Order: sequence, then structure tokens, then C-alpha cells
Amino acid sequence: MLDQGRVFVHPRRLTFVAIGIVVMFVVLSVRLWDLQVVHGAYYRSLAEQNRIVRIPVLPDRGVIYDRTGKLLARNDPGFAVSVIPVDLPKAQEADVASRLAGVIGRGVDEITKAIDDQRTRNPYEPVKVSDQPLTRDAALLLVERAELYPGVSVAADALRYYPDPTLYSPIIGYVGDINAEEYAAHKDDGYLLQDTIGKTGLEWEYEKYLRGTLGWREVERDAAQRELRTLGLVPPKPGNDLVLTIDDKLQHLLAAELAKGVQDGKWTAAAGVAEDPQTGEVLALVSVPSFDNNAFVTGVSTAQMKAWNSDPRHPLVNKAIGDMYPPGSTFKLVTGLSALSTGVATRNTIVNVNSMVLSVDGYNFYDWRAHGPLDFIGGFANSSDIYFYTLGGGNPNTGFKGAGPDAIAKYGRMLGFGAPTGIDLPGEASGIMPDPSWKMERFGEPWTIGNTYQESIGQGYVAVTPIQLLNAYSAVANGGTLYRPHLLKEVKAPDGTVVYQQGPEVIRKLDVNPKDLELIREGGRRAVTIYHAYMPDAKLPFAGKTGTAEFGVSSGADALGRQELSFHNWFVSWVPDRANYDPTAHISMAIFLYDSSKSMCDVCLNPAVGITQRVIETYEGVSKADASLP
Amino acid sequence: MSVRPLAMRAPASPLHDRPSARRLMDLDWILLISTLLLIGYGLVTGYSNTVEDRSFTGDVGQQLLRAILYAVIGLSLMSLVAFVDHSWLGTLAPLIYLGTLGLLAVVLVIGHSTLGATRWVAIAGSKFQPSEFAKVFMVVVLAKWFADHDVRSPLTLAGGLALLAAPVALVYKQPDLGTSLVFVGIFFGMAFMAGARLWQLTAIAAAGMAAMPVIWANLKPYQQARLTSFLNPWADAQGAGWNIIQSLIAVGSGSLSGKGLTAGTQSPLGYLPIAESDFVFSGLAEDLGFVGAVILFVLYIVLLLSALRIAHRSRDAFGTYFAGGIAAMLAFQIVVNVGMAISLMPVTGIPLPFISQGGSSLISICFALGALQAICTHQDVGSSASRASPAAHGS
Repeated sequence: MLDQGRVFVHPRRLTFVAIGIVVMFVVLSVRLWDLQVVHGAYYRSLAEQNRIVRIPVLPDRGVIYDRTGKLLARNDPGFAVSVIPVDLPKAQEADVASRLAGVIGRGVDEITKAIDDQRTRNPYEPVKVSDQPLTRDAALLLVERAELYPGVSVAADALRYYPDPTLYSPIIGYVGDINAEEYAAHKDDGYLLQDTIGKTGLEWEYEKYLRGTLGWREVERDAAQRELRTLGLVPPKPGNDLVLTIDDKLQHLLAAELAKGVQDGKWTAAAGVAEDPQTGEVLALVSVPSFDNNAFVTGVSTAQMKAWNSDPRHPLVNKAIGDMYPPGSTFKLVTGLSALSTGVATRNTIVNVNSMVLSVDGYNFYDWRAHGPLDFIGGFANSSDIYFYTLGGGNPNTGFKGAGPDAIAKYGRMLGFGAPTGIDLPGEASGIMPDPSWKMERFGEPWTIGNTYQESIGQGYVAVTPIQLLNAYSAVANGGTLYRPHLLKEVKAPDGTVVYQQGPEVIRKLDVNPKDLELIREGGRRAVTIYHAYMPDAKLPFAGKTGTAEFGVSSGADALGRQELSFHNWFVSWVPDRANYDPTAHISMAIFLYDSSKSMCDVCLNPAVGITQRVIETYEGVSKADASLP
Repeated sequence: MSVRPLAMRAPASPLHDRPSARRLMDLDWILLISTLLLIGYGLVTGYSNTVEDRSFTGDVGQQLLRAILYAVIGLSLMSLVAFVDHSWLGTLAPLIYLGTLGLLAVVLVIGHSTLGATRWVAIAGSKFQPSEFAKVFMVVVLAKWFADHDVRSPLTLAGGLALLAAPVALVYKQPDLGTSLVFVGIFFGMAFMAGARLWQLTAIAAAGMAAMPVIWANLKPYQQARLTSFLNPWADAQGAGWNIIQSLIAVGSGSLSGKGLTAGTQSPLGYLPIAESDFVFSGLAEDLGFVGAVILFVLYIVLLLSALRIAHRSRDAFGTYFAGGIAAMLAFQIVVNVGMAISLMPVTGIPLPFISQGGSSLISICFALGALQAICTHQDVGSSASRASPAAHGS
């Protein structure tokens, strides 16, 4: 039908175009085959990822009670702002970050960095950009103007609150935003980057109980991140509550006394611990000065952090467990028990302290007074230094052979010195229980008799933590069992059922003669009854051992007429049920006053003794105490 | 040298020639059936899109009625044009050209904007997008130009380019880069089929390539990003690459047989931008899968090859070039639109013939296909001459 005349038709070109069209569709089809059939499953999963987002739902953290049910740590409602980087176009990031900065009160750079870091890590997971909880109004602002904040989500975020911050911060510690290292260590346990985690104290120690289990909400959403409907919900499991062995009443009484002395300038810092010697339950644990742990929850300013860190009194350190000090005369427990156990001394070993000075090898070792002849009870009760120099190091002048440094170290370690007690708190110090090989290793010098003398009265190399000292005396008070001190009484599920109960844990039974322990108990009781530990009108049968630990370099009296030597005061006590020497004590307490020489004069009494009497008598109640007095 | 066909006895006047029963038999039925099927396909997928759109708040039935109305208008126009001698189109070409320029100018002056581009004007409450008609009208103009001039002369090509320059500039100004490119595609397709010398076309193309850096520098950053992001959409998955990736996810997740009509998720949840027009193929491929897409392709092939056959059989050069131009226009739009959806082509806002919603595109295409039917039914020189007789075409 075509003729030569229709030269305007170019059949070959038309054919070429026709073939081109077919080839074109073949190419498109091949590409479609690859996308839809070869990789269909892959793209289908991507479409589901688009459509369905799994939003983590954080569990409520468990709260913390004292043994009487008083709330010590709770959760207050607040709001947190998070960003899912994948939902925030890179081009808008700067704008959104600067808008957010105005709302959440944080630097643009910090917000941008948080988002960028998460973008490289896992852009599909939300990252918390608010460093402190938002008010309801600010949260509403973000929600209402959601179109200005792509990828930004606001979620209820309970805020940890400690009603008694400085009182309990050394025990409870605090929670904070998870950091990179913690996240790396915990991400397999279901932690998210927007999580909070226990940083120190019991919040850290019992994170596993308090944390709870993450829940998930599966949400269908559109491209504008509007949540259209919830497809599924795995509810979070709230964390379990802790019940502590602490008695809030005792804690308050003890802390008030210790803090008052700091306030009045009588000592610079103090620690006090009380426990039940029969179980190792810690009834009170105070460290002053301490810090405001609520500040850590909402974010501590750099200036505040610097101030805490540069304070010589170490407010961030729990001085009851985390720092060690010379025990002074309280250490005569160890010297005495090693002398009794090695047979060097008995109840009737008499040392005639007719001088304030014991001279050995040209060195002078002093006592605080010339006591005259003393037996073991008298030596312990009067805290004669020369009596215990003799029991520990012997007396070359009289030929009396002492227990010696190795025996002292052996019984010291048996009583728990030189090793952490294992209390359920992080940051416990071990203390130092020296012996000749320790000195050789540490200083490359041989042990001298002077070292033994110093050690015998708790000076020199020996260093203890208040909790160690208390625990050792508790073992004496209970008749020979060294318990691991603990703060956790039980763990309760949110519905109130007890899921874990912390019973007494024995570290070891003391390998000593029970009679020897009774002698110590008698000596401690005698110290009170002869008013060496001055407790006028005591309504309870207190027993205890004072200690005055010298530290620092003597530089003579200062302009204010203060004492030449700086010293700390100790008093370790226990209260038996009756005024006898039976191992029936139901409470023991150690009080440590740092640099209590500040306002002391020669004749002043050890203030720790008075504190002990007032605190325990008030705590136990006078009427009950009256009945038990002899 | 082109020799005009002996067509003098068929005056280029719409009044001279009238539809008749014979004409009905002469229609290209294959073209007509494929046209109807494609319009039907478009109605079905458009309806599906509307139903599944969870953010659509209007009346679904009304939306469907509107689409049917466009189809009816389009088909009416097609029938009207089909029974009129196509020659009058050529005769009116100068007027059409001026009208096209006028329409495009009007858009720039009183047009309405969506997504930063001014592309449509409101007429009687309906959006009217002159650039869709401009494409068909420029095929008319170029066909007339090539038919009246020696296409082997560089001057003819230059003249064609000059004719194109004004509408391309006006459309580009909207800005509508996609339609501007369609004009370029139409030009090359028509010039090629009209028999232009290949070296001349190559030279023009080379000159165009040489001018690319200048053109590129004048593009807006978002246009540049759209043009290059298809090379690696994952490089900026949240920004320039977002549309492409979401489109790939939609297409890929359709698998072999699709998720079923109205069962897609990408498009209704808003992941597909401009799901009813630019990215309409992605939604179709998601709902109907590879099978649905290939069925669409087959319909397109039938339609395009029918157009080429009409070009082949046209009694005059204008008809041949017009039919070829329409084929080139449709093929170019299809390949660019589908290619964009599956990341073989840069992102440009070109509607997919028959499938994209919008009356202007459908009606203008129906107009063009009506003209193709007219060319088909007016193959013979003279109303009574036998088509089979070579004598009728004496030189």
C-alpha cells in the first residue's frame, strides 16, 4: 500500500523507533523483575519497616524504702525529648536543633552532636536530647507544633527524686543518663541510649532489681511520623522495689549529731555506722559532708562538680566505707585478742604502768597517763598504751615477750581488717593491715619494734574504714561471727510479693577462744562503767572502745591555741540486752570524727561517746532502756 | 527532497469532510481498544489510590466520578477529532502555535502554585494545566513545519528548534523541567522519523551536551539534586534520595503479583510523594506487582506501535510526522516516568499517560489519539478513491 511517492515515510527509521520502543519496555521489565521478583522480599520488609515502628516503652524504676517503709527514692513524672535521626532530614537538622535548644534549654552544638552521633550509630533508635526533664508546658509546645520538629518525640519520663538527698546520697547514690561505655556494656540487656542507669550507690549495686524490663509498642505510622494506630503492645515490666535494713529514724538521729559538729566547727567531717551485730544488717550509715544526689539526676553544673571535687573533705566519697583512717586505740581489740589467743596474755597479765614513758632502744613511747599496775580488763578499759605496747611488742627491758606483728596481722585479718567487708555498695576501701613482709614489699625496709608498738595502739601503717572497725567489734559483740554487712533487706515486686530476702551472710567464724572475746566485752563494758568513755546517767548497758588517732605533722600550737597534734576521734560501741558480758548485743555503732582536734582542749571528752549515748538512747527509747538497766 | 503527496483534492478544511459509516470501519480498532483499556486501567488504579489513601478526606465516589468525567470528555473529544480530516490541524498550526504561547504565558501570569511550581489555571472550578496541551500542540506545529520544509536542511532543524524555544522557555519558567525535556524528546523523535540527517541531529545533541554545564549552573539546587540523586539515592536517604528510595520500596514490595488493589501501604501512608501523578507507577506496581506492570507495558506497546503504523500509512507528511511525534511524546513520557519510579532516570515531574490522575493530561492525549484516528481514516487521497490503488497516488 506504500508507494514510491510517499518519500516522507522512512520505514527503516519507523522500524528502528518501533524496535527502540520494544527494547525500552524490555529494559524496564527487566529492571522491574529484578526489583519485584528477585528482591521483592527485601523491599517488602523495608515497606513494613516504614509502616511499623517499634517504640520502646521504658519501665518504671523500682523505688527504695527503709526498713520501716519510709520512701527514700521515688519517681516523679516529667517529660523527655528524643530524636529518631532517620526521621529528621539532615537538611533540617540545624533548624530543628536550634528550635529545640530554645525549648529544652540546651546548647545547639550539644543537641546536634547527640543527633549526629546517633545517626552514625543507629539512626532508627531514638536518642534522648534533653538533659533535664521538661515541664508539661514545654512538652505540649513540642507536641502541638510537631510539624516544626520532624523526628522529635516527647515521652513521659519519670524523674528520680530523693526526698532526703544529702542524708542518703552516700548510700543510695544516684541515677543518670547512660553514657557510651555503660551503653556498650548493657545494650544486650535491653538498654537504650535514652535510658537512665544507676551510677553509684545502691542505684548502681541493685540496678538489676530496680531496672525492670523494657516494653514495646508497635505503631503504624505515616510518612509524616503521625502514629495512626497501635498494632501491638508489649507492656514494660516495672522494676522491683528495694527495702533497706536502714532505719530512717536512727539515720536521722546520727546524721543530725554528726552534721551539727561539722556546722559548729568541732570536726571537719564525720562518718557513723550502726548495725545489728547478730545479722550484719546496717541500721544507719552516715557520711558528712555529702552531696545533693538530686542534682545528679537533673544534671550537675561544671562549677558544682568542680567544687565537690576540690573540697578536701571529699563530699562525693562515702567516708564510712570509701576512705581509710588510723584506728587509734580502737585497734587495741586486735592487739589484745592476738595476745590472748597466742597465750602471751591472760586476764591476769599485769603490766605496771608506773611511768608515762616506755623507753626501748633509745626511743620513747608514751602513754597518756601513769596508770599504775593494770590487768587486761583494766588495760583495755583505761586504754593504756604502754599495756598494749607490751602485749603487742613485748618489753625488752623486762623480757616480756609480745604477740608480735605477724600474730597481730593474723588476728587483724581474721577480724576483717585489710580487706573489704563486702558491704553491698560500690567503692569500698580495703584498709591496710600491715605486717613485716608488707613493709618490706612496700618500703623495702625491715619491720622494727617501734612499728609493732605503733600498730599495737592503732597508729603507724594500720588503716581501717569505719565499717571494718564496726564489723570487727560486732563479731566480738555477737560471740565470734564475722558477718558481711548489708544494706538490702528484701526485694519486693510491685505487687508487694517478696522476690528476694537477704539473710545474714557469714564471712567467717573467729578462730578464737570465746572466753577471750568475753574478756574484750568485759573490757568494753568496764570502759563505760569507769567513765573512761564518759556516759553519765546511761540508761542502756553500753560497752565500747574509744580511740584517738593522731595524724599529720605536729607543728605546735597555732595562733588560735589549738592542739599541737591533729587527731580524729573514734568510738565503737555495742549494747548488750543486759548489763553483763554475754554476746547478746542487738546494736553496735562506730562513730568517726575527722580532725576533731579543731576545737578540743586537753581535758575535753571524746565527743563520739556522747553522740553514741544520745543517739542510741533516743533511738531505743528511754522507757525500754530503764527496764534493762542493772 | 521531499515530494508532497497529491493531496490537493482534499482541501484542508474541516468543513469539507464528514464522518461516515465507512470512516467508522476505517478506524484503527487496535489503537482504539488499547486506548480504552488504558483509560480503564487508569480509572481502576486511580480509584484504588483514592480508597487506600488514609489521609484523603473527600468523597471517594466524587473523586471517581470526576475521573470518569475526564475520561468521557476525553473520549468525546477523541471521537470528534477522529471524524474530521486531520489536515485542518496543519492548516491551523500557526494559530495553534500562537495559542500555545498565549496559554503558557497566561499560566505564568495568573497561574496557581503547587509545590513551588506554577503549572495550572483554574477554569470553571477545575484545574487546567496548559503545558499538557502545549506538548500535543507543539507536535502539531513541528509536524507542520517538517512537512512544509526540507527536513534534510539544517535550516529546517534550526527553525524547528527556534519554534520550540519559546514554549520550552515558558514551561521551564514555571518551573517545569520535565515538560521542557519532553519537548526536546519530541523534537528529536520527530526529526529522526521525518528523516533528518543523523549527523545534523548528532551535532545538535553534541551542542546541547556542550551547553550542559551552562544549563546545569542555571538549575536550582533542588533540580540538580533531583537529577543526580537517582545515581545513588542512598547517599542522602533522608533528603534528595528519599523519594526514589520510597518509590523503590513501593515497587519492590509489590513483588510478582502485588499486594492487591487498595492494599498498598507506601502510597497511602504518604511515603510516595505525588502518588497520584509523578509517582503513580510506584503505587500501581505496589498494588498489582510485576504482572500488573507488564500488562500496562503491553498495552503501551500496542498503542505506540499502532501510532507508528499510522505514521507509516499516513497519506501525507503532516500525518506521518504528527503520528510519529505523538508516539515519541508518549514513549518519552512513559520511559521517563517509569524510569524515575524505578531509579533508572532522574526525578522529573512528568505524568504517566492514562495512569496519572488529572484531566489535562488525559484529555490532551485523547485529543492527540483522535487525530491519529483521523489520520488513519483519512489515509486515502480523496473520499472515494480506493486505498489499495497505487494510481491514486500519482506523482
